[in-house]
Amino acid sequence: MDALLAIENLRTYFYSRAKRAFIRSVDGASLSVARGETLGIVGESGSGKTVTALSAAGLVTAAPGVIGGRIELRSNGIARNLLDGLERYVRVEEADGHVVSVEKNEPGWRRRVEALMAGVRGKEIAMIFQNPRAALNPYSTVGSQLVETIRLHTGAKGEREAKERAIHWLERVRIDSPRLRFDNFPFGMSGGMCQRAMIAMALSAEPSLLIADEPTTGLDATIQSRIVELLAELKAETRTATLLISHDISVIQRLSDRVAVMYGGTVVETGGTAEVLAREASERHPYTQALLASIPSAETIRRKSYLQAIEGEVLDTIEVPRGCRFYGRCNRVTEGVRERCAGAEPPLAEIAPGHKVRCWLYPARS
Amino acid sequence: MSKTILEVTDLRKHYRQGRGLASMLTGEARVIPAVDGVSFYLRENETVGLVGESGCGKTTIGRTVLRLTDPTGGSIVFDGRDITALSRAELRPLRREMQMIFQDLDAGLNPAMRVRAILREALTVYERPSDAEIASRIRELLEQVNLKESKLANFPAELSGGEKRRVGIARVLAVRPRLIVADEPTSALDISIQAQVVNLLRDLQKHLGLSYLFISHDLPVVELVSEKVAVMYLGRIVEMGLAEDIAHRPRHPYTQILWSSLADKQSTEVSRRTRQETVERERRAWGVFDFEHPAGGCRFAPRCPLYEQKGRPAVCTDPASEPRLRDVGRGHVVACHFA
Amino acid sequence: MRRFVQAPGPIGEFSKLPLLQRAERLDLVYVGYGLLILALVLASYLLGALGWLPHDPRAMNVELINAAPFTPGHPLGTDFLGRDLQARLIIGIQAYFLPGLLAIAISVAGGAVLGVLAGYRGGWLDTVITYFANLLDSFPRLVLILLVIAVFKPDIYAVMVVVGITGMPETANLIAGKISFLRQKNFIEAAHALGLPARTVILKHILWLNCRALLVIQATLGMAGAIIVETSLSYLGFGVQEPTPSWGNMVQAGANYFLQGNFWPSTAPALAILATILGFQLLGDGLNNILEGKRRR
Repeated sequence: MDALLAIENLRTYFYSRAKRAFIRSVDGASLSVARGETLGIVGESGSGKTVTALSAAGLVTAAPGVIGGRIELRSNGIARNLLDGLERYVRVEEADGHVVSVEKNEPGWRRRVEALMAGVRGKEIAMIFQNPRAALNPYSTVGSQLVETIRLHTGAKGEREAKERAIHWLERVRIDSPRLRFDNFPFGMSGGMCQRAMIAMALSAEPSLLIADEPTTGLDATIQSRIVELLAELKAETRTATLLISHDISVIQRLSDRVAVMYGGTVVETGGTAEVLAREASERHPYTQALLASIPSAETIRRKSYLQAIEGEVLDTIEVPRGCRFYGRCNRVTEGVRERCAGAEPPLAEIAPGHKVRCWLYPARS
Repeated sequence: MSKTILEVTDLRKHYRQGRGLASMLTGEARVIPAVDGVSFYLRENETVGLVGESGCGKTTIGRTVLRLTDPTGGSIVFDGRDITALSRAELRPLRREMQMIFQDLDAGLNPAMRVRAILREALTVYERPSDAEIASRIRELLEQVNLKESKLANFPAELSGGEKRRVGIARVLAVRPRLIVADEPTSALDISIQAQVVNLLRDLQKHLGLSYLFISHDLPVVELVSEKVAVMYLGRIVEMGLAEDIAHRPRHPYTQILWSSLADKQSTEVSRRTRQETVERERRAWGVFDFEHPAGGCRFAPRCPLYEQKGRPAVCTDPASEPRLRDVGRGHVVACHFA
Repeated sequence: MRRFVQAPGPIGEFSKLPLLQRAERLDLVYVGYGLLILALVLASYLLGALGWLPHDPRAMNVELINAAPFTPGHPLGTDFLGRDLQARLIIGIQAYFLPGLLAIAISVAGGAVLGVLAGYRGGWLDTVITYFANLLDSFPRLVLILLVIAVFKPDIYAVMVVVGITGMPETANLIAGKISFLRQKNFIEAAHALGLPARTVILKHILWLNCRALLVIQATLGMAGAIIVETSLSYLGFGVQEPTPSWGNMVQAGANYFLQGNFWPSTAPALAILATILGFQLLGDGLNNILEGKRRR
């Protein structure tokens, strides 16, 4: 498989002192991004999608943080595990299928991550964040931040060459009057423009993988569509592999080749975008189906009917139930599978080439 | 024929942005016309949707209509009574009839009060129920908003987004309002929870006969819940009509852009026409409405594709001819020279 | 290596535990110590007021000058005039306590009023009060105090009024800041929209529920500050005058004999100052953490 990034069984936990319990943000997630492909991660709050991305970029700093798994990055012919050596810094005790205690040498692990990610972060893996103005340095002009990135991560070391490249990138992200905007500070630019600048910064390093965390959230409707257009164009031009995280399904639909749906810290479905996100598809994870049904469709609006809301609250990753994580809210449970749903977590099973679902209604055939 | 519960005529709200002590003394200040001549009406048990992007003034309208802030001009008539200039004391008994659901999930939820205390306080603002009545009313409210009883002992910080929204709604229902201004009731919530809240609001409207001014930027939801929709741009209503007409037969170029931005996100095959338009839009410099030196004429001209297409006609930028809302049939009004 | 353990059994809801259980142990220790100091202060005050002192603090005993601690009849020794140190320490509290209360009453109450006026009404009132507060803040407190002393006689109460007034801006700013935060969260607006009268919003919601921790700290820190002012002035000779004991002037009096080897008459009051100021500051700190429910890192 020509996977650029392969995340296997990632576990990232946090600890709540108030409740003296683990927050199982990512609890065994596996996904992969192939070269040149865009993988969209869909999920609601608590699904673990952002934490997965942060774990891949080595940006998780709260304790205990990443406690298990493997993240393999294959680029320029080298394959490396970004979590290499984790076992030496972490000791996990489990009982009854649940983690009971974690011992972690956080400072040691931090140092190791920095060593592992040196030369990777910014260069091979670039990231753009949700709130553009907050992610840019407010004291430095957009131009100088771009130049800094270019000089650091690409072959263009000279000041003039870097500046030309920077302006070229500003043009590519369709910022008007790029030579003038070069000297603008973030506070003088609108949200949409800051987002474009951040995209320019990320792509100017010509990374193998772009991680985009909610790139359109918080922007106005018309600006959102423009950013989406821009990302679509850049995707076609640069063929950079992308990990796109969003709770906005229409954005995912527009930009992703494949989709992974996350719930409660695990991946519950993965497959081609058209297959997974089509409204009328039948063979699908109940959560994906219910999620899509809660968005008003043309039909629902025409009939002014009630939305099909999913019962109950989104899973609180502190109190993780025994069996399937979606069992409490699932509306497709049948008597035949109820016992299994309540008792054990289903494995990811392939129901069609490239389409996997984690549900007892589709048990693994092996 | 249901009666009109709210009628707003030529409402204006201008903010003076002084530059500190000096401007206070000289009286010189910048005036920002957040709401600049807005008129609409709302019938009982009906929902009017208000859409627009950030800065268009929709939240300000909501707050002004409820007299949370005083209007600079125009009139507000609630249930037949002119409330535009009433004093705080005269307003107080009317307050209970018109309430607001705030965009911020934490609004009205004092972080140091448990949910039970929050609801009890809301119940005792206008009435003096006995302890038993309070207990039964609280139970009733919980049932109406579908909230578990165990949540009564929690602090707001321990509630999920959806639960906070529900407590906020319960708090507002406690005073038995007739009109609710819902300011972005679903933003900041997960998709599945949004659906729950939308269903809840519609349920409540059906059972309690509520009237809603539904302010949101979520176009499909607005179309779903509203009978009428008004589209705002920079302090003015640029188009208004039945929800269906606005969504499927928009006439104002801004409305068309808004609804098409929705389609842009979804379409996998972008039509040649919209792609061309997009490219043209990008090429143009950003036109931003400068409040200090208003260019006069149509406010949308700097961003208007129609303006470009028609070769920049003078009538669009002529200060004397600012477009007014014209009737184009079925109660559908548009403010554009060419729509 | 840090260890995280998941507590066995059902995951409890923290906030439903009673206040004492929710508090961090260290904060409880702080508060305990602070309350102990406060209790000693009040007890000593009471003893003094009721006249149940072991010795008359002014009674001189020429034979027992600079007696060491544990001399029979004088557990803490005597000073350079043979006066009992213990009794003088006890009475010394009166030099700062009531005046200190005056200072914090003015600074906290005045600051709260200014803060609420500025924050709640906003607009021009906010601007005026902010300017006024900044003005007040910029005056050097010591200079003002010396000015007061020069104009009036060295009256500790007059000094404390100045201390109180110059302490108002800090409280006012903190309260106005808190209100600004609440306003941003539409909190005040929502309370209005519901129909809650302004009085309820200000007194109950803002001050009691949200600002009480803030006010408590300002009061305890204010007391600590007042003690420093009083003892410093008395040390310099501008505060409480001989023969009335103040910890400050006791330190000064004993200083002359320090180099001769009589450490105690100076050191005892100095330690008392240290322990008491520490007590009030820890009391404020601990109470703040407990009331605000903050977790220690």
